[in-house]
Amino acid sequence: MSTMTAPRTTHPTTRPRSASPMTPAVANRSPRRALMTTWYHVAMIIAAVVWLIPMLWMLSLSLSDNAALTRNTQSLIPVEPTLENLLGVFSVGLTSRWFINSAIVSILTTILTVLLCAMAGYAFARIEFRGRTIVYASVLAGLMIPKEAMFIPLFTMFADMTMHNTYQALILPRIAAPLGVFLMTQFFSQVPQEVEEAARIDGAGPWRTFFSIMLPLARPAMIALAIFTFVQTWNDYLWPLVSATKSEMFTITTGLASLQGNFAQATELGSLMARGLIGSLPLLLVFLFFQRHLIRGISMTSGGK
Amino acid sequence: MAAIATEVPEQVRRRRRTGLKYGIGFTAPFMLLYAAFVLYPVVQAVQMSFFDWDLLGSVREFIGIDNYVRMLWGEGITWSMTHQFGWRLALLALAVGLMIRPLLNRRITGWRLAGVVGVLVLVFALGFHPAEGGFWFDPEFWVALQNTLVFTAISTPLIVGLGLGMAMALQGRRRGVRVYQMVFFLPYILPVSVVTLVWTYFLSPNQGLLAALLAPLGIDPVPWLASTDTAMLAIVITTVWWTVGFNLVLFAAGLQDVDPSLYEAASLDGAGAWRKFVSITLPGIRHVLLLVLVMQVIASFQVFGQVNIMTGGGPGTSTVVAIQHIYETGFRDFELGYASALSLFLFAVMLVVSVIQMRFLGKDDK
Repeated sequence: MSTMTAPRTTHPTTRPRSASPMTPAVANRSPRRALMTTWYHVAMIIAAVVWLIPMLWMLSLSLSDNAALTRNTQSLIPVEPTLENLLGVFSVGLTSRWFINSAIVSILTTILTVLLCAMAGYAFARIEFRGRTIVYASVLAGLMIPKEAMFIPLFTMFADMTMHNTYQALILPRIAAPLGVFLMTQFFSQVPQEVEEAARIDGAGPWRTFFSIMLPLARPAMIALAIFTFVQTWNDYLWPLVSATKSEMFTITTGLASLQGNFAQATELGSLMARGLIGSLPLLLVFLFFQRHLIRGISMTSGGK
Repeated sequence: MAAIATEVPEQVRRRRRTGLKYGIGFTAPFMLLYAAFVLYPVVQAVQMSFFDWDLLGSVREFIGIDNYVRMLWGEGITWSMTHQFGWRLALLALAVGLMIRPLLNRRITGWRLAGVVGVLVLVFALGFHPAEGGFWFDPEFWVALQNTLVFTAISTPLIVGLGLGMAMALQGRRRGVRVYQMVFFLPYILPVSVVTLVWTYFLSPNQGLLAALLAPLGIDPVPWLASTDTAMLAIVITTVWWTVGFNLVLFAAGLQDVDPSLYEAASLDGAGAWRKFVSITLPGIRHVLLLVLVMQVIASFQVFGQVNIMTGGGPGTSTVVAIQHIYETGFRDFELGYASALSLFLFAVMLVVSVIQMRFLGKDDK
């Protein structure tokens, strides 16, 4: 948290001490500086537009008429603009089913991950118990196990339990995130001792202390972890690909990938792009509304840097 | 005093006893899932790697180390001094470099010794190759390994360099900086299949926008994904566009912690931009830089989605990467035992990277 707010207060332009002696010099150079600022923004806006071209093109294609796209696809402006593709996403094919699958899996995974990681993190940070150090060390060791490289034994396990093509198979392996426990442990160990002692004097046991005092305190860390988990789960590709093999159990990410393999290529390009756009919509919304938390989540991933 | 001294351990003991109940209560839900779905699969992978383990469940036969032999060995393998000579010479130079300081100080740590021995073993191992008429049992394993290394070697400097460059361009509190940062970050949140959807068509020589944009510059359409020369490059470009924003954010967070007064002081001393970068910025963000590098290398070793959707490993085997090879072995050839052995090899390589990372980060903290 402090990493987010600290820079703003320590930066020279907002620091009164360094700002005051510089004022005359700034006043002197201000026309030149204003010109430089203009050029800076011109360069940055060009770079930003170039960076967004693939996405703008996608938007343009999804707003274009499919028949017109068989003649010309190379335009940033929609050809014969129509909303047909976007409106048709949910009525044709399995896209709506995939969308619902992704929503169920991502939401449940996120809630369970945050809850379980917060509980474990609280215990590792605040409760003294025998074997705590060893158990916590074993969780940290898990940070080094690449989940992408271990999908074969995981697949066998779920196959032996005949649990593939279920929501449980898509959710359960993703909840056990050592990184989440690490982040929550870090967070809870920074909470002052007095907060907890006050609760204990009031006669609250660990469970009540946790749910009524510690969880509300941990809200910023939990939101960051939640958003990060949601984005990761929505975008997960390899595990849903091997576990959910029936097309009605695809997630939107694997479903869209399957379309790219066998879609009647160019004839439905506009509709294909519209599906991609709708499939990214929840993430775009999360991004718009929670960008601060998302960024904090990433900064936290680096171990609080 | 004496009363307190005897009282405290008793209190601590009591707290520990009740603590165990709550400690288990709070951690059990996570630990059960963690043991079942993170730790146990590693054990299971080791077990499976010694079996001929068919996906369809008809065959599960113990075959000892045959899977490992198949992965790492071949028919008519010989060892020669000059095979891969350039690379081995470079590695040998690295080993010598690592030994210079210990030799001067007459002191060597176990870690450094392990590192040097590891490099020397690698130098020796690279001398093996199939002789005339010989062959590797699984040539695609070596192709996949090489492609993964090439992907890592090209994409890592690009992503790290570009991420740092962008973060520095956006350093400071100018108006609008946040918006630019968001724009560059935006692609990172897209699902991999949406990224590949856009880029497969974007790069397409006859339908893609890129060809149309480059045409006025006199550049002919390039069949990016259909040519063995450019397919890997196309995947690298796609990956850079997709993930550089993540590193930009990490670097931006790191740069905010560099003390701005250092830059002011350096300006007063007449230091130029390059000098400031080398003497202030780089040391100030060395933690983040190292972290980004390692995360990038580990992520690159696990690259899969882009490759599987955009090229499926082709054309030919030009873009087959490690996970792709594991996936095909397991789910196209149904050989889960051998796929497990391949997974463990990848795991071991990444473990080495992680250990090196921890050594570096640990040293930094002292």
